[in-house]
Amino acid sequence: MKRASLLQRGWVIVPILVALVITALLLLAFKVSPVEGFGAMIRGAFGDMSKTLSVTAFWVPMTLAAVGLVVSFTAGLWNIGVEGQIVMGAIAASWLALKLDVPRGLLIPLEMLAAMAAGAIWAGIVAVLKTRGKVHEIFGGLAFNNLAIIFTNYLISGPWQPPEGGTFRGTSPFPDKALLPLLGDSRLSPISVVMVIVAVVGVFLILRGTAWGLKLKALGKNPDSAFLLGVSSERETILALMLCGALAGLGGAVRVTSWFDSLRQSISGGIGYLALLVVMLSAFRVAIVPFVSFFFSAVLNGSITLQLRTQLHSALGGILTGVMVLLVLLFGDIRTLRILPGQRRKKAVPDE
Amino acid sequence: MQLQIKGIRKYFGDVKANDGISLTLQPGKIYGLLGENGAGKSTLMKVLSGYHKPDSGEITLGKEGVRFDSPAEALASGIGMIYQDPLDVPSMRILDNYLLGRDRKVLLDRAEALQELRQTARRVGFEVDPQAFIDTLTLGERQQLELLRLLAMGAEVLILDEPTTGISGEQKEELFDSIRKLATVEGKTVILVSHKLAEVQELCHHVFVLRKGKLVGEAEIPCLTEDLVRLMFEDVPPRTARVPHVRQEKALELQEVGIDGERLQVSGLSFDVQSGEVFGLAGLEGSGQRLLLQACAGLIHPSQGRIFLNGRDVTRFHFHRMRSQGVAYLPAGRLEEGLVAGLSLTEHIALATMDREFLIDWKRYVEETQRRIDRYQIVGQPETLVDELSGGNQQRALFALLRSPLQLMLLEHPTRGLDVRSADWIWQLLMQRVEDGAAILFMSADLDELIERSDRIAAFSGGRMSRIVQAQETTAEELGYLIGGER
Amino acid sequence: MKFKKMWVVLASLAALSLLITACGAGPVELDEPFVFGVILVGPKNDRGWSQAHYEGGLYVEQNLPGAEMIVFESLNPADKPEATLEGVVDDMVAEGAKLIFTTSDEFEEDTVGAAEKYPEVVFISISGDDAWAEGQDAGEAPSNEGNIMGRMPDMKAIAGCAAALTTQTGKISYLGPLINFETRRLAASAYLGARYCYQEYRGLDPDDLEFTVTWIGFWFNIPGVTLDPTEVVTGFLDGGTDVVLSGIDTTEAIVVSGQRADLGEQVWAIPYDFEGACDEKPEICLGVPYFNWGPSYLDTVEAIATGTWEQSWDWNAPNWDDLTDNDVTHVGWVDGPALTTELKADLDTFIAGLADGDINPWTGPLNLQDGTAYLADGEIATDFQIWYLPQLLEGMTGPSE
Repeated sequence: MKRASLLQRGWVIVPILVALVITALLLLAFKVSPVEGFGAMIRGAFGDMSKTLSVTAFWVPMTLAAVGLVVSFTAGLWNIGVEGQIVMGAIAASWLALKLDVPRGLLIPLEMLAAMAAGAIWAGIVAVLKTRGKVHEIFGGLAFNNLAIIFTNYLISGPWQPPEGGTFRGTSPFPDKALLPLLGDSRLSPISVVMVIVAVVGVFLILRGTAWGLKLKALGKNPDSAFLLGVSSERETILALMLCGALAGLGGAVRVTSWFDSLRQSISGGIGYLALLVVMLSAFRVAIVPFVSFFFSAVLNGSITLQLRTQLHSALGGILTGVMVLLVLLFGDIRTLRILPGQRRKKAVPDE
Repeated sequence: MQLQIKGIRKYFGDVKANDGISLTLQPGKIYGLLGENGAGKSTLMKVLSGYHKPDSGEITLGKEGVRFDSPAEALASGIGMIYQDPLDVPSMRILDNYLLGRDRKVLLDRAEALQELRQTARRVGFEVDPQAFIDTLTLGERQQLELLRLLAMGAEVLILDEPTTGISGEQKEELFDSIRKLATVEGKTVILVSHKLAEVQELCHHVFVLRKGKLVGEAEIPCLTEDLVRLMFEDVPPRTARVPHVRQEKALELQEVGIDGERLQVSGLSFDVQSGEVFGLAGLEGSGQRLLLQACAGLIHPSQGRIFLNGRDVTRFHFHRMRSQGVAYLPAGRLEEGLVAGLSLTEHIALATMDREFLIDWKRYVEETQRRIDRYQIVGQPETLVDELSGGNQQRALFALLRSPLQLMLLEHPTRGLDVRSADWIWQLLMQRVEDGAAILFMSADLDELIERSDRIAAFSGGRMSRIVQAQETTAEELGYLIGGER
Repeated sequence: MKFKKMWVVLASLAALSLLITACGAGPVELDEPFVFGVILVGPKNDRGWSQAHYEGGLYVEQNLPGAEMIVFESLNPADKPEATLEGVVDDMVAEGAKLIFTTSDEFEEDTVGAAEKYPEVVFISISGDDAWAEGQDAGEAPSNEGNIMGRMPDMKAIAGCAAALTTQTGKISYLGPLINFETRRLAASAYLGARYCYQEYRGLDPDDLEFTVTWIGFWFNIPGVTLDPTEVVTGFLDGGTDVVLSGIDTTEAIVVSGQRADLGEQVWAIPYDFEGACDEKPEICLGVPYFNWGPSYLDTVEAIATGTWEQSWDWNAPNWDDLTDNDVTHVGWVDGPALTTELKADLDTFIAGLADGDINPWTGPLNLQDGTAYLADGEIATDFQIWYLPQLLEGMTGPSE
């Protein structure tokens, strides 16, 4: 037992190390000294205060989405739609930011709530399509991701176009009172860090200590048995996706009200997909998610400096994290990853 | 080719599943491997077939020592195993499934394979339709197919794990005939893993008995059944006497119920089950008895007719509502449909018994679980994951999850795969429920069990229910006729 | 008048610089390596806008030993959600960059902030107007930020002329991206060029010339959001248009027209942005207007290296003597294989007229699309009027906003 649990704990580290070695070899292949390369990455992520704050600011929405994904993964659901849920949250927050004229103390909470509601609804549609329409959540999610992006483009090139005319960029900047208070010159809002802490602790407690958390766990591991043990798969599926959507939507709101100051063409730009990788590398354990997410953010931010330093493509950071996740999937504890798509789900017979 | 096993050890944590077992097997003979649940039979066979790696010990095939990293390697050396649930791909055609795992060539020669499949089938005496889909087959047919596949891939040693659970008597005869032919005519070594003494007596030449991971005895067949039982259990378990508890109230009443299954239609079901009554359902797999149980559980809705529970019309109730009315449903597949692999016993108890609570009082549930573990004699701790339990203990765990009080219990094969002692113990538990007034409607493939445990019995054949017979007055022969379609 | 004068000055300057080069007087020599950054919105090999800037940087490296470019490509929230302009600038400055080109109007706002943060570094915001003393946003740029843009309207006028010379049906269509000052200005310029040549060289009534603009809504096709450029071009051609001008980043105009030409129809196209764009379908390509950033980049680097740089807003004119000489011209025009010899002669006359100032298509009387007066009779548009063109012009079909 001892040995097994040690292995289980250690296996997160192994793929990271192997991925670092592979990246080092890649760097060598491009005639860049790995010491210099990794040095550039570390400097790029933590070289000075502003870099570290930038890493943290990027970490916030990714972690919110990833924490939400732990919930949906626990229920055995592949919420690929998380990307669209981030975008919808951003749109909802932007809507209030642009149109609502109330004091800051009211406006910001309203923006956050609207964002959570929008993300939850977007996820809820995918969930109902799954339980009622038999549309797998992966396909529903992908479709709704596209719809969310198309909707953004419509808004910034149509009704919410800045007065000086349409550009690539996005809407006009929000009024200051609609923006989260920032730390100095950074894009990081201390309030958003509090949100992450609340989300992590909240989801941890929900999964650990509530009846609902246990039902999700059972549903994720074996929907048929869970059904016979009294779990309503339809209800819990919808709720799990909606909670994930709410947290992702909150991430979207943070993105528009602190990272940017307006709704942009690509408000998320794949943060949802990164969050999926984060959760997989965290072995679906919420307590590990913030750390893995921080590591991802540092690697991605460090890659910017790496690209400038070495003039290599900055996709190297993406390769590094991608390889890690791949290795986890290959050599990790397959049992924890067995919630693969395609599991049969018992037909819920509606009461009449 | 002589097969020798020397000093095989396989531990799972603290459990000594195989604790130094040595056997010698000759070609052309059929061996029985007996033992109660958890004796280590399945583990030993999985070691032999490459599914598990032994902690120590060696396997010699002919004169050579062998070592397998996977079932495919074992099969390449000539050892093939048929599992209780054949490992095939349900939505594929027989022919494709047969071709599966034969990846020596990139391109599959279907015509050749078809020829080969037909030939092998004829040799062994099976009839197969190569274009049929796997999921249209009965368990018995899938077993036959798996056997053909192993033979075609050159298996010299065939291991059959509880092959007769869940197949019809006719299929059993076919299977036994072909096994005999394979051993005596073709010189294969056959190992039959079973706890059914009668089958071992009927088929095998020689029998090994395992108990608690060790070889405790062997015998040439025929021998006295009592001797085997003594070897298996150390002492002969007493049979509990059957006392009827039937009451006057109707627990379950069906009026002209019809059910549309995916491949079968059941119609004209009208009967009732009294409180405290045990009602047995006989019949081949897929004859409609499972549909009846599922309809009574609210898992599927009847297409016509009405169902009453304690006089209340529950026809359109769904499963969760039926459950709250005191109806329990125990499916046949334990880890597939009853338990959640990866969750602990405590988590199961919490899931099954919790009410509209928000936070879980884990301390209370751990205590409750410990109580049930003691009461149901489960070998495990509250934090043990259910998939780490042995088959018998999983079955006990399922019963430990039941709520009280219960009005109606719907059971699929309640003792399938259990040894005599475990099965008897399960029925003791069930009879306690019956004593408390629960009605039991159960299906079983074991005619002795049906006759011994039921108050009344009906048989299903092709979606029609036979006349209802009194268990005390009927015989296995009569049931056989009813199963065969006589009404 | 001012316009004409500037051309003269510029043309003579260009000639002078040619002369200097020819005489073998070497360019500026650097005492120490000069690092400059180029921040691209797209990939450096996009066969369009970003590639043109990247090649501008390469040009500097080739012509000024010791100059060293660091590039950051695809800085946009879709490709790199974690990257920000200020972060990239921080890194470039840390790498020793003394000059940074931010090459998209998307970066305009953030460039101001970066320039304020690093007063010792020069920032060039391409296509911006913050450093234009007479511009609408005058005063927004700190003194270490300048703007550079190529004078593309001239090239668009040539494109319009080529179209008018070629059209048989008298119907020309312009495939526009989204509507803003820049895109309106370019479409209008093409229209004015077409109108001039239709009247002067073909002797036809320019009011009979149909010039339709359709804005798809973005710089490239986004299914569901923009109009599908393929369908728009098909609609153009079905409606009798026989020359399609592209104002978008992608190649639908020439591709679709090429397919129709293969079916035997007499149609032509004029792509945009990339010097080699005619290669898609040479036999129907009348030519292509393109940006060439090398010379302006080189000038800027040299000015900073020699300490002579001053804040300015440069709207750089072409080298009229040779519109394909990438050592000197800031915007270019390449004749396409489909341009016949006679038509080429007329086009060259037009280009010569533009060059020496005899012809200025932006001469009144001109009205805006809604009928309000834009230029009085004989009045020549100022840079301000052209840059901030508020609507399309009268005679053009298509929305202004």
